[in-house]
Amino acid sequence: MAVEPRVAEYAELLVGRCLDVQPGWQVLIRSQPAARPVLEEMMRLIAGRGAFPLLRLNYSLWPTDEPWAETAPAELVGELSEIDLFASEHMDARVTMEAPDNTRGVSALSPERRALVRKGSAPFFRRTMGHEIPWVSCQFPTPALAQEAGMSVAEFERFFYGAVLRDWDAEEERMNRLLARFDAADIVRVVGEDTDLTLSIAERDGEVDEGKVNMPGGEFFFAPVEDSAEGTILFDLPTDFEGGAVDRIRLRFSKGRAEEARAERGEETLLAALSIDDGARFVGELGIGCNEGITQPARNILFDEKMAGTIHMAMGASYPHIGGKNKSGLHWDLVKDLRNGGRIELDGEIVQENGTWLI
Amino acid sequence: MSDPRIEAYARLLVDCIDPEPGWQVLVRSQPRGRPLVEEVCRELGRRHVRALVRLMFDSVGGVFVREAPLELLGRLSEIERHEVDTANCYMALIAPENTREGSDVPAERAGIRQAALRTAHEPYLRGEKPWVGCYFPTEAAAQDAGMTLPEFEAFLYGAVLIDWKALGERMEKIAERFDAAETVRIVGEGTDLTFSLAGREGMVDALGANMPGGEIFYSPIEDSAEGVISYSEYPACYIGHEVNGVRFRFEGGRIVEASATSNEEFLLGTLDTDEGARRLGEFGIGCNPGIQQHMKNTLFDEKIEGTIHLAIGTGFPQLGGQNRSAIHWDMVKELRNGGRIELDGKVVQENGRWL
Repeated sequence: MAVEPRVAEYAELLVGRCLDVQPGWQVLIRSQPAARPVLEEMMRLIAGRGAFPLLRLNYSLWPTDEPWAETAPAELVGELSEIDLFASEHMDARVTMEAPDNTRGVSALSPERRALVRKGSAPFFRRTMGHEIPWVSCQFPTPALAQEAGMSVAEFERFFYGAVLRDWDAEEERMNRLLARFDAADIVRVVGEDTDLTLSIAERDGEVDEGKVNMPGGEFFFAPVEDSAEGTILFDLPTDFEGGAVDRIRLRFSKGRAEEARAERGEETLLAALSIDDGARFVGELGIGCNEGITQPARNILFDEKMAGTIHMAMGASYPHIGGKNKSGLHWDLVKDLRNGGRIELDGEIVQENGTWLI
Repeated sequence: MSDPRIEAYARLLVDCIDPEPGWQVLVRSQPRGRPLVEEVCRELGRRHVRALVRLMFDSVGGVFVREAPLELLGRLSEIERHEVDTANCYMALIAPENTREGSDVPAERAGIRQAALRTAHEPYLRGEKPWVGCYFPTEAAAQDAGMTLPEFEAFLYGAVLIDWKALGERMEKIAERFDAAETVRIVGEGTDLTFSLAGREGMVDALGANMPGGEIFYSPIEDSAEGVISYSEYPACYIGHEVNGVRFRFEGGRIVEASATSNEEFLLGTLDTDEGARRLGEFGIGCNPGIQQHMKNTLFDEKIEGTIHLAIGTGFPQLGGQNRSAIHWDMVKELRNGGRIELDGKVVQENGRWL
């Protein structure tokens, strides 16, 4: 059967560049049925490298099973099964390929049940979050994702593959140059519509996502000094939290903490998310979007946070491996568009204006 | 709103495995099985049992079985092996999108994969761990049956949502007669075959490993089959392949002549899988009154009242079966067209009716 060339290229990118699958590996692939074309191509490539493709296909993303989590006793839901724990401990690489049939069909689970599900699946994420094994999080362009982005499937596929099928070696080099300028600076200032915010990244080296653990990649990011955020910011890209839409979030920071939080839509959801724990009101990540294949938001954080000419900040947990100290059950990326008169300053020098780099 | 028949079906399937709290149950299916998979998961959750859903795009092994290097194909990864060894039970909810999905898998590759899986699943085959296999009604399964989907759903639920206790009691009486006999003779169109059940006890499948159940089955004495059987009425279907007009001649329990009117190459290739592939592993008697017509779907066809089936390949150790093979291929013989079954020379069934 002929495979669509873009699908074949995408599969090769994931198996080759992102994971570099080696003979004998057990490669766990968690996905959903609609991703069939790329999953079959990946399994073919993985087997061709002499490795085992272990497909964990379900309607929700393994190890979560939503209907089961509705009815099973809490003590079972809150703990990973022995079989899935063994798989988590012995996998040599993992792929998470989201392919939703309905982006709003997340589940009928109550917040308490959802928290139990998160607790139960935590051991699965431990080895990948600690970068013990290669992993990649990605998506397949389904009609539901196209709908969320407000595009036809054909249009969304063009958008999707335009963001994903890039010369990643060249992107890596370009982003490393930009990162070097940020690493040499202490204070980042972001100015734009209803926005004037400063953050310190002193002694905090950033990291480039050069198309390995996220596909699309195309950002570099920092764990800012926890008590440094001062000022206000308007996040103008629409977002959502556990299925609830939240638009035009405004935050005012003092000594690193978001003291005021408002949203034009979904303010209750915003406040609930920021109340998860003490760390939820602190900035865990400052990211700079650099993917020039992404020129419009798609209501899809994996893409939106990489859009060239935007920055994003995650409320909640930071990455310890880049010096982050903030702990939280939340890590929620919020995106700010700077292409409409915004700018970035490093130690007082303007380095980006209207989304265009001056360095 | 969900179909109440699906909820009843899910409860019935979980009854078949009768799980204990804390068990880890593998729920195997294909994407189209969603309504049933989700109900089964809810039912397992209610009974304090873990549901581990494992979907595949087909039930044959997909791209992996078609293209993996042979040495990978012949073994299970450590994670797969641990899963099969540790699980307490598995459920196979077959929900085909295309029942011929395995038609391009060569017999050799299918055989290597089946052998690897069969070894891992020994405890299930020996009856030490429960399992259940069934169908979810999909368009593809309906198409094979020559029905519309609503017709097929009515048929399927009619065959499974029945009084299993009453049917089980009726089958027990029939099984007693076969248990007491030694020699079975099957006579029918192009067919005169004898084999021995001496010392072998049968099993009644009423609420067990197959849903629908409705058969009594044995593992015949391995070197006893003599004569000819001609499956002239129905095709023999196996892992996505369909073979018409299969005819076997047995000597000393072994198939010494084999032919088919279509797809003979696949038949002969499968017989060459291993030595056990040329001997009988099962003799089964269809007893489900809800199933009257052949639909190229073994799970149903082998239960048709008035038919018998014989499987070449691996036998049932818990029924005394000694034969071992990577394959187990059930073929159904119609007896309602003038056929008969004799036990030790006495006719017990004629034209599909018990005497």
